[in-house]
Amino acid sequence: MNTATNTAATTAATAAATAATATARATPATSSLAASSRFKAFAISFSTFGPVIYCICQFFNWPMFTFHPATNRLVWGYEGPRPGEGPNMLWYGWTATTVVVAALLGIVAMLLPEHVTRKIPLTLIWLFPILTIPYIVYSLMPWWTH
Amino acid sequence: MTNIMSVGTFWTIWLLVHLLFAVGLLGALTHQAMAVALPVRRAAGGIVTRFRAVPAPGYATAVCVLWVLTFVVGSYIYTKYRIFVRIPLEQSGYYKTQGFFDFKEHVATLGLVLLPGYWYFWKNAQNPEFDTARKMVTLVLAAMCWFLFIVGHVLNNTRGFGS
Repeated sequence: MNTATNTAATTAATAAATAATATARATPATSSLAASSRFKAFAISFSTFGPVIYCICQFFNWPMFTFHPATNRLVWGYEGPRPGEGPNMLWYGWTATTVVVAALLGIVAMLLPEHVTRKIPLTLIWLFPILTIPYIVYSLMPWWTH
Repeated sequence: MTNIMSVGTFWTIWLLVHLLFAVGLLGALTHQAMAVALPVRRAAGGIVTRFRAVPAPGYATAVCVLWVLTFVVGSYIYTKYRIFVRIPLEQSGYYKTQGFFDFKEHVATLGLVLLPGYWYFWKNAQNPEFDTARKMVTLVLAAMCWFLFIVGHVLNNTRGFGS
C-alpha cells in the first residue's frame, strides 16, 4: 500500500515538476506583435541602444524640451534657469529625446533585412544598461563630493 | 480643486498612487526574477519555492504596464518635487540624498527603454535563443526596480508626508 502510494506521489510530483520547468516555454507567441520579425528588430534595437542614447543625450545635454516647473513654462530644446522663475528641468527632455531617437533607430532596423538585424548581439541588451551605471554615478559626482 | 481638497492632500494622493503602482511592479518583477533565476525543480515546497513557482511569462505585460504607469505618475509628481522637496533638501545639505534621487530618475528611464525587448523575450519564451537575454533583462529590471523603490522610500522618509 505504502509502495503504491509512494509511486503515485512520485509520478504526480515528477509530472508537476516537468510542468513547472516547462512553464517558461508555455506556449508559442500568440499575439501577432510578438510573432512579428519586424517588431523583434524594433524591440531589440530600441532596448539595446536606448540606454546608450540616453547617456549621450545627458552627456551632450540634448533635451527635446525644457520645463520650468515654477511657471509651467515649456520650451523646445535647452533653456537655462531664468532669473526669478525658479529651476529648469531637463530630465523630461532627455527622456523624450531618447525615446524618439531609439524609436527612429528601431524603425530603421525594421526596414533592414532580417539577416542584418540578427547580427545585433543579444548580450548587449542587458550589458549596456549595466555599463551605463558607472557613467551615471560619475555624472552625479557634484552631489557625492559636495 | 482646492474646494474639494487641499493642495497637500491632492499631491499626497498622487504619491500614494505612485507607491501602489510601484508595490505592484516590485511584487510582479520579484516573482518573475526569482522564477527565472531559480527555476523550481520540485512541485511542492516551502513559501520560497512557491514564491518562485509562478507562471512567469504571464507577468510580462503587467510589468510593462505597471512600469509605464509608475513612470508617468512619478513624472507628474516630480514637477512638485523639484520645487517643494529638492530645494529644501539642498538648503538642508542633503546633497547625497538628492544625488540618489537624480540617480533614480536616470535608472527609471533606463528601465523604460528596456521594456520592448523584455516584453518581446517573454512573449517568445518558447524560443531557447532568448533564454539568457530574457533572464538577464528580467534580473536587471528587477534590480532597477528595487533600487528605485528603496531610494523613493528613503526620500519620502527624508521629506515626504506632512513636511
